[in-house]
Amino acid sequence: MKFEFEFPDVGEGIHEGVITKWLVKEGDEVSEGQSIVEVETDKVTTEIPSPRSGTILDLKANKGDTINVGSVFVTIQTGSATTDKDLDSKNDKVEEVESEIVEEETAGVVGEVVSSSMVIPPSDEIKKVVEVKSSTEKVLATPVARKLAKDLEIDINTIKGTGPNGRVMKDDIYKASESSLEDIKKPEEVKKVPLQIPDNENVERIKLTKIRKTISQKMSESRFTIPHTTAMDEVDITKLYEFRKKYKKILKDDINLTYLPFIVKATIVALKQFPEFNASLDEENDELVLKKYYNIGIATDTERGLMVPVVKNADKLSITDLAKAIEEISTKAKENKIELSQLKGGSFSITNYGSIGGYFGIPIINYPESGILGLGRVTKKPVVKDDEIVIAYVLPLSLSYDHRIIDGASGARFLNVLKELLSDPEMLLLKA
Amino acid sequence: MANTLNIIQAINQGLMVEMKNDSTIVVYGEDVGIEGGVFRATVDLQKEFGKERVFDTPLAESAIVGTAVGMAINGLKPVVEMQFSGFSYPAFNQIITHVARMRNRSRGQHHLPIVIRAPYGGGIRALEHHSESTEALYSQIPGLKVVIPSTPYDAKGLLIAALRDPDPVLFWEPKRIYRAFKQEIPEEAYEIPIGKAKVIKEGKDITVVTWGAMVPDVQKAITMLEKDNISIELIDLRTIAPIDRETIVESVKKTGRFLVVHEAPKTLGVGAELISIINEKAFLSLEAPPTRLTGFDTTFPLPRGEKHYIPSPERIAKTILDVVRY
Amino acid sequence: MDFKKYNPLENKIYQVLNENGEVVNKEDVPNFEKDQLLYLYRMMLYTRIIDDKALSYQRQGRMLTYAPNTGQEAAQIGSAYAMDKEDWLVPAFRELGAWLTRGVPLKNVYLYWYGNEWGSHMPEGVKVLPVSVPIASQLQHATGIGMANNIKGEESVVVTYVGDGGTSHGDFHEALNFAAVFNSPVVFIIQNNQYAISTSRKIQTVSDNLAQKAVAYGMPGILVDGNDIFAMYNATKEAINRARSGQGPTLIEAYTYRLGAHTTSDDPTKYRDNTEVEEWKKKDPFIRFKNYLVENEMIDEDWEEKTKAELEKEVMTTFESIENNSDTEILDMFKYHYEEITPQLKEQYDDYISFLEGGK
Repeated sequence: MKFEFEFPDVGEGIHEGVITKWLVKEGDEVSEGQSIVEVETDKVTTEIPSPRSGTILDLKANKGDTINVGSVFVTIQTGSATTDKDLDSKNDKVEEVESEIVEEETAGVVGEVVSSSMVIPPSDEIKKVVEVKSSTEKVLATPVARKLAKDLEIDINTIKGTGPNGRVMKDDIYKASESSLEDIKKPEEVKKVPLQIPDNENVERIKLTKIRKTISQKMSESRFTIPHTTAMDEVDITKLYEFRKKYKKILKDDINLTYLPFIVKATIVALKQFPEFNASLDEENDELVLKKYYNIGIATDTERGLMVPVVKNADKLSITDLAKAIEEISTKAKENKIELSQLKGGSFSITNYGSIGGYFGIPIINYPESGILGLGRVTKKPVVKDDEIVIAYVLPLSLSYDHRIIDGASGARFLNVLKELLSDPEMLLLKA
Repeated sequence: MANTLNIIQAINQGLMVEMKNDSTIVVYGEDVGIEGGVFRATVDLQKEFGKERVFDTPLAESAIVGTAVGMAINGLKPVVEMQFSGFSYPAFNQIITHVARMRNRSRGQHHLPIVIRAPYGGGIRALEHHSESTEALYSQIPGLKVVIPSTPYDAKGLLIAALRDPDPVLFWEPKRIYRAFKQEIPEEAYEIPIGKAKVIKEGKDITVVTWGAMVPDVQKAITMLEKDNISIELIDLRTIAPIDRETIVESVKKTGRFLVVHEAPKTLGVGAELISIINEKAFLSLEAPPTRLTGFDTTFPLPRGEKHYIPSPERIAKTILDVVRY
Repeated sequence: MDFKKYNPLENKIYQVLNENGEVVNKEDVPNFEKDQLLYLYRMMLYTRIIDDKALSYQRQGRMLTYAPNTGQEAAQIGSAYAMDKEDWLVPAFRELGAWLTRGVPLKNVYLYWYGNEWGSHMPEGVKVLPVSVPIASQLQHATGIGMANNIKGEESVVVTYVGDGGTSHGDFHEALNFAAVFNSPVVFIIQNNQYAISTSRKIQTVSDNLAQKAVAYGMPGILVDGNDIFAMYNATKEAINRARSGQGPTLIEAYTYRLGAHTTSDDPTKYRDNTEVEEWKKKDPFIRFKNYLVENEMIDEDWEEKTKAELEKEVMTTFESIENNSDTEILDMFKYHYEEITPQLKEQYDDYISFLEGGK
């Protein structure tokens, strides 16, 4: 086989040499160890012996030529059938490297240091002032929290952390994972009572959806935590009825003017007068938390279940604005386009089951709020006015509230305020 | 090309240039004078500065370092060579009990501006004991600095910084890449600060830290991963003691993933220290466990086994992928 | 004096004063003035008192482990007295007499043995290196200091000490070899006090004496009666002159005896015979020197009593000023490892301080 003899480094660190004399010619028989050429380098002038026995095939350079270390300068036809693999002690991967790389013997020392003329790009480090850049930090979270977020399929980077230094805590992740109702307590903490029904065969088992499960838990929680009581009353809204009819025509289709915006307005007047209805009880710290903001949740029936989107800062909106806002969130909720933030942060809720049907009700408070106003169906009824029976439009109100912090008297007074404002739109205008 | 040198030549030039500036620098060790060092690091120095400043010693590593202690106390700056880092062990006693401790022992009255140079690391198919990577042993000793360059530019700059440092520096040279490539470097003296790592390449998916002869191997691995579209931040540690924690921590805070690659054995290697630092300072940024890819906990094998020991670019690339995909 | 007259290969030992204080070598009696002789004797008293007091304090629980110099005062003081102000002293750990002679304040000595690093920080101009615990390692430092002198063209010399045990150590061999090869101006003094803890000198080597090891390195060696203060002075002076004039290193073996224990934690009765100790007590360097001085009417009992009292008072006062005053400053533990404290060290220090202050 053909052996390609690469010019070796004969004097550590040299890269090239000049052929001063060929000692053989093409066709000559040579034996291993026989000198075949004389080469001059800047370190040493030396004869180079052949590493193989065989016939000189091809002298690839002439006398006087400069040859580079590592380049093939003569080929020899050897009789050996084996490859030169065992003689080539290079690491298999090293063979991929440029042909200029060659093994070197360093003087008087063991081992071989690979030498190459490959040039790497320069550095200008000392000219630049290299400052350590303070990185745009990722969200801080323990590995456990990160795994939780991953398991719940939430992007942890979108969660605002409430831990030290803004760390995202596990609770933050649990909170974010429920897209409808807030899950304040960890699910495990709500007691699960085992179901016992006599006939377990003639049944159909439907797996609860996440939302249904959440609603179920929230209802239990609210009912078990807050001692509910409900005050009920009827309001003669005939004047409001006329008022609304008139202005609905004027505003036409620009605004969907229902009773709700008026009711919200009236509610806010009442909440300002009776702030304990716009509050939460902090049992741990024995404190009543009065909210200075008025975020009214409007319970909305959707395909997936009950949702309570919130109109934020409703006290700052005019009635028409309220109408628009309510329209917007209801639609979004029904179309399942509502955002998580719009389902959070309410301070008082209104549930309008009357739009479907029903008169009085005992609504369940949207924990941790302290009150909820239920609206029944507006009905034409006979009422006594000035000792005469007349026909009026009657709106039934059902006000559930937290009896730990609100007494019956306050409940009654709250309803009275609503009655006063809803029965007389001009009064509502004056006091809103 | 103007002043394009490999690492050995850069070291030689660094010594040459700084010895001209500072007449208190003396260079000695075994075979460094006439021959210029078995790797030619000190070639021509004796010719230039004479036998008084550059000389050969009897074969006695302990005395080479021990006398350096005395010389340094008496106002000179000895730059001694351990012919191979594995030969420093007879001098271990002097290095640990005196070189590292004299300043503290005398409450600052004496300090030792000594530089101990040695080729370190494997991959040159040598006999037993010529391929040591025990930088972790020295890095644990209070009072020492340990520096490992990976390019000619860094080698010269860090060496000059070491020569100017009032405290002892172990300057461990990656012999495998002594001559593997060249680089254009300034002819005059310049310093690169000791204790500062270098971000060779910025990235945002993973921080990879390495040093010495492993740097080109990691770079090869990164090239192999180009098709995988991962953004890798590569840091050359350069100073093993004291470690530049700031650079590494800031990087991990950015990427959330960490890999250290070194040829030294795994257990209690420098990689372990880096991972501890990350645990202390970047725990909350981690997306994957900080990982180390190292030599085995075995004696460095003889040449036929060498290629299995030093982590190959393939192995490095796979480990990077594993960490990124965690 | 002439080293050649005392060839260690012939086991010749150099002496000027015998055990009784009689001059056996008239021409070698050093040409000392009276105040110099008194200085030397006072220094020996000082050394002995410091040692005795240290041992006493240690037994009282007021001091830590201490290595006494009892019996070796002449070897230490005689040799150190031959040095010039600019000369370096590179100690092992049992050279109290030499340290004091070279200007190391007692305060430093007690601070060191009391356990505070500041004891090793010498006053300006006192060229004494800190105690070197790793046996014989200091010999290489001495060689290096001398080599630097050659390079810098300075004329000071280096006197360094090692024990008989230390001569077995590789560092001894390497240091002497280097010193000879590089013509380093070092005087190597072996205080052969016959014991390395419990190991008798006869186990360290089967060479007839330690001084003859010098021959192998190509340097002069001399065996000297270590309890003879004049002989120690002379031999050291000669060696120092040789070194200073560029003739290289010398090895001196001071043949003496460790009358006390290795340290206060050692009980020599376990490994040596009391008769041996009694024999050597007769050769105590004090006896012969005192006899000489009394004979020559340099001192009397009154002077000695008065001097002892003065010295005792000074020693006690110094010790008491250190006692309870010498706790290590915490920051000192951190700030002398590098010229500038590293971020890691600063952080560790801050953490610790915060802990001590009852921090969160």
